[in-house]
Amino acid sequence: MDFDFSDDQEMLRDSVRKWVDKAYGFEQRRAIVKAGGFSAQAWSGLADLGLTGLQVPEAQGGMGFGPVDAMVVMEELGRGIVLEPYAAVALVATHLLKAGHAASAEPWLQGIASGKERVVLAHQERSARYRLAHVETTATNVDGIWQLNGTKTLVPAGAHAGAFIVPARVNDTGPVDDPLGIALFLLVNGDKGNKGAKVDGHATQDGACAATLTLTDAEAVELIPAGAAFDALEEAIDIGIAALCAEAVGAMDKLLAVTVEYMNTRKQFGVPIATFQALRHRIADVKMQLELARSMSYYASLKLGEPAAARRRAIAQAKFQLGQSMRFVGQQCIQLHGGIGVTDEYAAGHYFKRLTVMEMTYGDSLHQLGEVSARMQDTAGVFA
Amino acid sequence: MDLNFTPDEQAFRDEIRAWVAANLPQDISHKVHHALRLNKDDLQRWAKILGKKGWHGYGWPKEFGGPGWTAIQKHLFEEECALAGAPRIVPFGPVMVAPVIMAFGSPDQQRRFLPGIMSGEVWWSQGYSEPGSGSDLASLKTKAEHRGDYYVVNGQKTWTTLGQYGDWIFCLVRTSSDGKPQTGISFLLIDMKSPGITVRPIITMDGEHEVNEVWFDNVEVPADQLIGEENKGWTYAKYLLAHERTNIADVNRAKRELERLKRIAKAEGVYDETRFRDEIAKLEIDIVALEMMVLRVLSAEKSGKQSLDVAGLLKIRGSEIQQRYAELMMLAAGPAAVPFIHEAMEAGWQGDQAAGASFVAPLAGTYFNMRKTTIYGGSNEVQRNIVAQTVLG
Repeated sequence: MDFDFSDDQEMLRDSVRKWVDKAYGFEQRRAIVKAGGFSAQAWSGLADLGLTGLQVPEAQGGMGFGPVDAMVVMEELGRGIVLEPYAAVALVATHLLKAGHAASAEPWLQGIASGKERVVLAHQERSARYRLAHVETTATNVDGIWQLNGTKTLVPAGAHAGAFIVPARVNDTGPVDDPLGIALFLLVNGDKGNKGAKVDGHATQDGACAATLTLTDAEAVELIPAGAAFDALEEAIDIGIAALCAEAVGAMDKLLAVTVEYMNTRKQFGVPIATFQALRHRIADVKMQLELARSMSYYASLKLGEPAAARRRAIAQAKFQLGQSMRFVGQQCIQLHGGIGVTDEYAAGHYFKRLTVMEMTYGDSLHQLGEVSARMQDTAGVFA
Repeated sequence: MDLNFTPDEQAFRDEIRAWVAANLPQDISHKVHHALRLNKDDLQRWAKILGKKGWHGYGWPKEFGGPGWTAIQKHLFEEECALAGAPRIVPFGPVMVAPVIMAFGSPDQQRRFLPGIMSGEVWWSQGYSEPGSGSDLASLKTKAEHRGDYYVVNGQKTWTTLGQYGDWIFCLVRTSSDGKPQTGISFLLIDMKSPGITVRPIITMDGEHEVNEVWFDNVEVPADQLIGEENKGWTYAKYLLAHERTNIADVNRAKRELERLKRIAKAEGVYDETRFRDEIAKLEIDIVALEMMVLRVLSAEKSGKQSLDVAGLLKIRGSEIQQRYAELMMLAAGPAAVPFIHEAMEAGWQGDQAAGASFVAPLAGTYFNMRKTTIYGGSNEVQRNIVAQTVLG
């Protein structure tokens, strides 16, 4: 048992932190939000550090790193509430490309590693909420060519993606929530010549951007066939959740630091507000939620390699804790600031909004609680 | 990073598990697994079994006759004992006063007191709190006057846990009223059979006799029972607090009790009710998070690379969790937890089945008893002050 980071991981952390400090100051971030929530220049910066290829195999030009390395990167990106879809491309989609049909996936993996291409998972549907197996989009094989029909929502930075990975139902007479009827498809963005794939971008509450992907007889290649696809999808989402947990820890760490600084500066009744016991106890509770969150973020990343059932249970537990922590830390840090906390010009609100969106990504707290409840065993604890 | 214990640590765990299985008397573990009343004999029998093996002082270094275990080995020992249903080691002797005697006692005091603590023969109590000194412990008034070869002690201690069994008591006493309150306190070891000591029971709201008042009326204490220097007692007491680290969270016991909660919920038919099941799920997540925090502290101690100052957080969270599982067990039984049956706390009670199965009768009592956990050992509000100090300065 060992929770230390290796020297290499500390170096990785250091280089990402330096980049965030240099390229992602609050004003720089504000400019990116204004320009639509995505910066090609920032993406190049991440690629120049080798980060886009973090988990791409070395054979495809990546670094072939593991989950703890990803956690380190995400914590640091979280500190800067970086808007670009790093986890969506470099962790979630990359995992599915690695698990999928090699000849189709390989050029995209190389593109991700070099920073020239972005591929994202487009799994969300309007009526699915957080049920991963609920897929209405259909795939039909017409003379050896797959054609997809349906609508995917909230595709991360969809307008800036070269291709999408799309879960679709291959047997359109089967039940809408049958996990075994789902296959994963790879398709090129409509803006790059795929006529059936229409992309409509929009802003999201956290200042980033997403897109609605409307598929009308859109041509696609099969990445992972039905049967194996759902397990791969579930694992990819769990990788996304672990990344999000780490990102949230970084964001909360920074938000707490901002709040502490403010409390030691702001004076009322002639003294810094950090001297008031009611506020001191609140900060103690915030620190508690942060450290519980950090503990469960470690747990999530360290459990990614476990068999599916154990992994799913651990990830759901972690995301529930993170959901609770994100909401508490976010709300309380706004409250502790007083009026300045609710303004757009001040950083705290932007952290709060990102934390809020993260709770609603990949399953909110109630959803995860249901998962934990449904998967409960007689034994308990970290090693249960 | 690695979540799993090393093969060596795993082998150590197996060794402990086998030894506990072979040596923990079943009548005792039965009581622990059912939260029944443990008497002095139960507690001391287990202490002596551990003592014979040299494990009653399981946290002691080798030079004082302990096993010299690492922080992780100690944790694994605590975990195996807890899961097997061993009573918690009564901490006052082996965990609290012994480290102070080792660090600040004279070689004579070490020879005189440590063997009896390790063997489990001598029962120690703690004399810290006073009626007027709870969270503000440094305001304590019990007075010790130095007269030649001995001190004369007058005053009153309170909340003395299991003091009715005590052979000896370690006390913080006032030897000076000059300067700050903290600088006039001394650390005395007192034989509880000394003339002038009276122990009176305090009955808590669960109807149990667990804590006591201890009165001192001109009690003569030989001066060679002073630890270290006069007026330095506060420093020694703080050392003692710093010594108590991860065990304060009691996460191992929480894991055992969560499993018991699930059994009770099944027996009472609420395990499959969504609303109740979700409450168990939340507690389960809380316990995993607490255990991860404990493991992080242990890992930091092992590597010495990064210090992790979260003792206050562990105390707050651990105590809240203890209260929560006791609460959920009672709520699982619902109306069947309402009858007050004092005898039901005794092993072997078969009871009135109409009022509920025998295992539900002690649940409300445990719930009432657990309210102490957020109050003792530095109330959770005092802990929040400490945590805030580390965050805000």
